[in-house]
Amino acid sequence: MTEQPETELLVIGGGSTGAGVAWDAARRGLRVTLVDRGDLATGTTGRFHGLLHSGGRYVVKDPDSARECASENRILRRIAADCIEDTGGFFVTTPIDDPAYADRFLAGCAVADMPVAEVPVSEALRQEPLLNPRISRAFAVEDAAIDAWKTVWACVRGAAAYGARILPYHEVLGIRVERDAVVGATLRNSLSGAEVEVRAQCIVNAAGAWTGQIAKMAGCHVGVVPGKGVMVAMNHRLVNTVVNRCTMPGDGDIIVPIRTVCVIGTTDVPVEDPDQIAPTQAEVAEMMEAGEALVPGFSRARALRTWAGARPLFPKGDASGKVQDTRDVTRSHSVIKHGQVDGVGHLISITGGKFTTFRLMAEDAVDAVCAELELDSACTTAEVPLPDSEGHHFYWLGARQESMEERVHDDAVICECELVTQGDLLSAAARRPEQQLDDLRRGLRLGMGPCQGGFCSYRAAGLLHHDNYYDRGQANQALGSFAQERWKGQQTVLWGQQLRQARLDTWIFQGILDLEHIPA
Amino acid sequence: MKTEVLVIGAGTAGLTAAVRLAQAGVKVVVVATGAGSLGLAPGTLDLLGYAPQVVEDPLGTLPEFVSDLPEHPYARVGVQHVRPALEWFQTAVADLGYQGDLERNRLLPTALGALRPSALVPESMAAGEVGPGTRILIASLRGFRDFFPQLVAANLAAASRGLDVRSLEVEWSGDPSDLAPQRLWRQLEQPGVRRLLAASLRSGLDGAAAVGLPAILGRDQSGDVRRDLEDQIGRPIFEIPTLPPSLPGLRLFDLLKGALRRAGGRLVLGESATGFKAGGGEVVAVTASQPPRVEEYQAGTFVLATGGVGAGGIEVTPARQAREPIFDLPLAGVPRDPQDWFGSDYFAEQPFDRAGVRVDRSMRPLDPDGEVIYNNLYVVGAELAGAQPWREKSGEGISVVTAVRAADAILEAAR
Repeated sequence: MTEQPETELLVIGGGSTGAGVAWDAARRGLRVTLVDRGDLATGTTGRFHGLLHSGGRYVVKDPDSARECASENRILRRIAADCIEDTGGFFVTTPIDDPAYADRFLAGCAVADMPVAEVPVSEALRQEPLLNPRISRAFAVEDAAIDAWKTVWACVRGAAAYGARILPYHEVLGIRVERDAVVGATLRNSLSGAEVEVRAQCIVNAAGAWTGQIAKMAGCHVGVVPGKGVMVAMNHRLVNTVVNRCTMPGDGDIIVPIRTVCVIGTTDVPVEDPDQIAPTQAEVAEMMEAGEALVPGFSRARALRTWAGARPLFPKGDASGKVQDTRDVTRSHSVIKHGQVDGVGHLISITGGKFTTFRLMAEDAVDAVCAELELDSACTTAEVPLPDSEGHHFYWLGARQESMEERVHDDAVICECELVTQGDLLSAAARRPEQQLDDLRRGLRLGMGPCQGGFCSYRAAGLLHHDNYYDRGQANQALGSFAQERWKGQQTVLWGQQLRQARLDTWIFQGILDLEHIPA
Repeated sequence: MKTEVLVIGAGTAGLTAAVRLAQAGVKVVVVATGAGSLGLAPGTLDLLGYAPQVVEDPLGTLPEFVSDLPEHPYARVGVQHVRPALEWFQTAVADLGYQGDLERNRLLPTALGALRPSALVPESMAAGEVGPGTRILIASLRGFRDFFPQLVAANLAAASRGLDVRSLEVEWSGDPSDLAPQRLWRQLEQPGVRRLLAASLRSGLDGAAAVGLPAILGRDQSGDVRRDLEDQIGRPIFEIPTLPPSLPGLRLFDLLKGALRRAGGRLVLGESATGFKAGGGEVVAVTASQPPRVEEYQAGTFVLATGGVGAGGIEVTPARQAREPIFDLPLAGVPRDPQDWFGSDYFAEQPFDRAGVRVDRSMRPLDPDGEVIYNNLYVVGAELAGAQPWREKSGEGISVVTAVRAADAILEAAR
C-alpha cells in the first residue's frame, strides 16, 4: 500500500463535471487530485452525441434547464472555442409534430433569454438539402457540436498547470470517514493492481451515473437514476447543422453533425446498472425509423456503430430516486452537502445536469467546497479561456486535412478515414505511455470512420510495438481488444454496407493475418 | 449479347469456372461489378486449415470433416473431386509454381507472425516453411506502413520453439507516398533499386539462412524480381502476404485473366448484374447495367459466383432481410430471429456466418424443399452456404473445387 501526498480536494470522476471541478478549484488555489477508474471522459461524457445545447429542447418542458443551457452556451463559446464547431441548429416542425408547439417554443425561448430566429422553410432546406421537404416551420438557434474529449482534457491540462494531480486508471475502493467527516479514500491503480491511500480535506463526488455507488462508500444515499440513452453514428454528415424536431422532448428527435459523422439520439430508459447498457436491436431500429421524420431515407443510410450512455438523472427534492418516466426528471443539477443531509462532513456530491452546464455545475460544487473549508474565493472560470482556446477560434472540419497537407511529405497517414498520421499516433503515445489502444482511438479518432479500424488498428499496433510502447503481448492484446470493442459497437448495425465492411475486416484479420491464432 | 455460358463474378471461383469451361471449348463471358476479390486473397491455396484445431492432413481430414458438416461446400461437391480439381488448377496457373502436398499443410508466417496452415503455396512463398534450427530474417523497408518485421519476428519466435528469428528494417529513402505498395512493386522491378535492397539485406543477414519480405516483389508473376534478389544475397527469399491490395492475389488474377483470354473467353468488368429473365423453367438472360445503359446477356447456362456477404452477393436490409439480389435465390442457414444472427464475442463463430445458397451435388441451387430451382443455373464459391472460410482457412479451396465441379457438371450436361 502506497501513499499519495495529502491533497485538499479529491475529485472522484473524470468526466466533464469532475474535470470542470478540478479546473475551477485549482484556479481558486486549492490543491486538487482528480481520479477516475478508467481513462478520462469514458463515462457518460464520452458517450453522448456531442450537442452543445442552445436550450431550445427544454424551453417548454424544463424552463430552468433551458435558461441555464442558454447562458452556459454563451460562456462555453467564449472559453472553449477550440472544442466547438459552430454548426448552428434548427428546430423544425415536421409533418408528425403538433404545429401549435412552435408558438409555445417561441414564447419559451423569450422567457429563457435564448436567441432564436424563425427562418423561411426554403432557407432551411437550402442550407440542409436532406431535411424533410415537408416541414412547415423552421427556427435557427445556437446549438453547436462540442468535442467532449477535447474539452475534458483542456480542463484537466489547465488544472495540472495549477498543480493539480490527475490520476486516471485509479478506482475508488472505499472512502474513509473519521469523526463525522471524510478524511480520504483508498484507490486501486487498475493498470498495476497496486492500492493507494490518499488523504483529503474535502471530497467532491462527481461520478455521474455512478454517484450513488460512490456516496454509498461513505454511508450516504444519493438516489441517482441512470437513464440509458442509445445513439447511432452514421457514416457521413447527412446534415451540417444540428437538427431538432420542434416538439416535446422524445426519442430520436435530434441529429448532431460531429466531426466526420452524424449521430442520432436518443432514448431515455431507467436502468439499474450504468455499466450494463448495451443497445438492443429494437432500440437501434427505433432510432433509424425516428430519423425518417427529419431526413427522409435516413433508415436506409449506412450506420457505423451504436452505443449507449447513462444519464445521471436526479429528481430534485426526491432523494428516493423513484421515477415513473425518466423524461419527466428535470435536467438541471443538484449539489448535495452530505454534512447537512447525512452528517458526513466535507463530502459534496454534484449530480444531475448535462454536459452543456458542466462549468456551472463545477462552479456550484466548488462554491460548496469553499464554504465547507471556510475559504473565501470566487469562481473565475466563466471569463478565462481553456488551454488552446485562447485564440477564440472555433474548430472547423477541414482543420485536420489542412494540417495533414503540410506534413504529407514527412509523415505517413495511417488512418485514411480520419486522417491520423504516424506522427500523431506516436506523439500521443509519448505524452501518455500508459494508454490502451482504445484510449488512443478516442483521442485521435483512430478507426472511428467508416472502416472502423480495419487497416489502421493493425498499423497502430505495429507502430507502437516498433517504438517500444508495447511489448509483443501488449501489441497482440491491443489488436484483439480493439477488434472486440469495434464488434460490440457494430453488432446491432450489421446490415447493408456496414455488414459487408465487417465481413471484409474479419476476412483480413482472421483469414489473412490469422489473429485468433497468435501465440499468447 | 449472346453466349454459351455467362459467369457472374470475377473472383477466384468465377474465373476458375470460366477458364475450365473455355479451355474445354465453351464460349464463355464473365461479367463483374468490380475487379473481383483476388486483391484480398493471400495468394495461397488453403484447402482446410482449422477444424477447429489446426489440421495437419487436410485431404485426409476431409471425409470426417464433411460427415460432421453435410451442408459444407466440400460435402456437396464430394471429397473425391477435391484432388483432381486442385491438381488441374495448379497446371492452369503453372507460372506461379504452386507446390505442396494435399496431405500435409504447411505452416507459413502471416503479416502478424501467426503461422497459417496452407495446402498449396506459390513458389514465391515456399521458402517460408521453416523449422527449428534455422535462423531466418524478417525484413522490410523503413516507412512501409503495412508490415512490421519486429512484431512478425517476435510472434514467430514465440509460436515456434527453437525457431531463431531476427528482424531487419532496411533504410529506405523517399517520402511516405513513395512507399505506397503499388509504387514499391514497380520500383523493385528496376535493377538499380534491387541492388540497393540486396546490398542492405546482405549486410544485415547476420547468419540467416532465409529472408522473409512483405509481398512487394514486382507485379508480374514471373518471380524474376525475387530470383534476382536471391542471387544477389545468396539466400532463399519468401514473400509474406500483406493487407490488401494483395500482390500474390493480384498475380493470380492476372494469370487467370490471361488464361481465360487465351482460351477465347471474354471478361467484362464494371457491369453489375441486377436481374434476370426466365422462361420454361430455365434462366434465359441476365440483365446488367452500366448506367444509363442496360445490357441483356443471353446464354444457355449461367454461373453465379458473386462472393457472398463480403462481396455484395448477399445483401441484408436494415430490417434484416437477407437476399440474393440477382435471382432472388432462397438462402439457407439464416437464423429466423435477427437477434440471433450475431453474438457478442468477435472471435467466436457467429450464427449468421454460414448463410448462403444451398446446392445439389452439381452445384445447382435448391429451394427449401430440396428441389432444383433452375436446371441451367449453377452457384459456386463464397456465395454458397455452409462454410466459414476465414475461420477454417478454406476460402481458395472452396472456390476452386466448387468452380471446377460446376464447370464439369455443365460439360456433362452438354454431352
